[in-house]
Amino acid sequence: MVSAAIACAFTYFLIYFIDYGFLSWQCLNRPIVVGPIIGLLLGDPLTGITMGASLEAIFMGISAIGGSIPSDCLSGTIIAVAYAILVGGDNAVATGLALAMTIGTVMASLNSVMMALWSGLAPFWENLAQECNPKKFFFINLVVFMIAILPSSVVIFFSVAYGVDGIQAGLAACPAWVTTGLSTAGTMMTSVGFGILLAMIWSADIAVFYFVGFILSKTLSISSLGIAVIGAAIAITYFFIERDIIAKSHASIEASQNNNEPTQKPANTEEEFF
Amino acid sequence: MSDKSINEKNKLEHQSNTDTALTKQEKKTLKSMFLWSHTVFMNFNMTKMQANGFTMTMSPAIQEIYKNDPGGMKEAYARHQAFFNTNAVPFNFIAGICYALEKQCKEGNVPGKTIDAIRASLMGPTAGMFDSLFFNCLRVIAAGIGIGLCTSGNILGTFIFIGMFGVLQSVTKWFLLKFGYTLGTSFIDKVFNSGLMTVATKAVSLLGLIMVGAMTATTVSFPLNWTIAVGEASVSVVDIFNSIYQDILSVILVLIMMGLIKKGHRPLQLIIGLLIFALLGAMIGIF
Repeated sequence: MVSAAIACAFTYFLIYFIDYGFLSWQCLNRPIVVGPIIGLLLGDPLTGITMGASLEAIFMGISAIGGSIPSDCLSGTIIAVAYAILVGGDNAVATGLALAMTIGTVMASLNSVMMALWSGLAPFWENLAQECNPKKFFFINLVVFMIAILPSSVVIFFSVAYGVDGIQAGLAACPAWVTTGLSTAGTMMTSVGFGILLAMIWSADIAVFYFVGFILSKTLSISSLGIAVIGAAIAITYFFIERDIIAKSHASIEASQNNNEPTQKPANTEEEFF
Repeated sequence: MSDKSINEKNKLEHQSNTDTALTKQEKKTLKSMFLWSHTVFMNFNMTKMQANGFTMTMSPAIQEIYKNDPGGMKEAYARHQAFFNTNAVPFNFIAGICYALEKQCKEGNVPGKTIDAIRASLMGPTAGMFDSLFFNCLRVIAAGIGIGLCTSGNILGTFIFIGMFGVLQSVTKWFLLKFGYTLGTSFIDKVFNSGLMTVATKAVSLLGLIMVGAMTATTVSFPLNWTIAVGEASVSVVDIFNSIYQDILSVILVLIMMGLIKKGHRPLQLIIGLLIFALLGAMIGIF
């Protein structure tokens, strides 16, 4: 049991490390890939492959939208397939499939709490980046990234080795206000990033468009591509109106210069000006 | 006047010729950026999301451009540490544009603010477009084929899935990076030659503001759950704010954060402050 648990935890760590850190495909963490790997490691590749296919169908509709993942398919698949193979029998496969989504949800909320906590490092990254040493930046990123995956890997180890019930009991023992507070902080953290971004592009004469964007999305529920088209239309119109104003003011300056030098032709060159 | 315009036309032609064939240095930098662009999700966090991946992707370009300009290099690194979040594939398109813009920024043709605004305005729409293209279309097709094969116990399904959904992303990333770079170069040439950089910056900032507003609506939330008992009746605080405008609290939160940043507060103070605020709020039961 323990060696199987180590194998599962290690697989979790490695897939997370490679897929999120070095490929960013969000592909190797899918059940159809993870299932066969766990099956191979635990000595029953066929169950792994077929369960991977079933789980892929279950998790098909779930993908990360805006940074929040409703259910983590990587941990869900690992535990479901491990459970089915280690317990054995047809019933175990069905139970495993049923387990996957629950575990995925628990792990996804754990991951999002971790992500909220790790955002404490944001200022540290900012300072580190400004040291202008990309090798050092990458190396420290690598180390922190590996540390960041560890807690979830440990949870995977314990849930395979000592059963899922214990983990759920552990989570239930945690006072409700801690979990509520952390998840609330997670949803509010993004505002700091937006605050920094806004501070850079904010200027009073066009600031109202920030609220326009908010209303287009919140009240009219237009997709971001649609809002981009509306925004681009406004921006392009603004650009060409301003361009014409500048062209006219240049033309009038030119015209007054030409009046001083009557030998030159009147200014009909403003089309070539741009 | 006419001489000047001929000169400008020559310059334009010259530049568009160089656009089509990338120099050795540009190819080297683009290749390096392509390799780094696979670290999008490394140390993804809720405050800056993909900022670390973007910094690493931009590092070859910044190192090349600001080789002899430590001050500019520092500014460029700070610029690309700002909040960033999009699909991992058009990530490269924006990085390519930023490479072209940084080059002009070094020359003093493009203000740094334009780069901030272009990053901010492109990430929302590209994310929506490519999320639906890759997650809702390509992955569903690849998974459909893969599931068909894997259900009968054929491991080939897994490999087809990785090839169709995974490897294809990398291939697309490379082409989008190059496309972004050439597009960025020609765009700047046109705008810069017309002498309208300040107007263009303002127009792009306008678009950026709209997109950040839209992203605020979809990603920031202020999950207040607070009712005050006034005698017999109870008043929900959220409803009061929502009756002013729906979810106005998340806008207020972002604007407060911006105000604090502009006042010179450090992001760490804000993050820790928010964390304490959320925990205390949850303890006394307003969340």
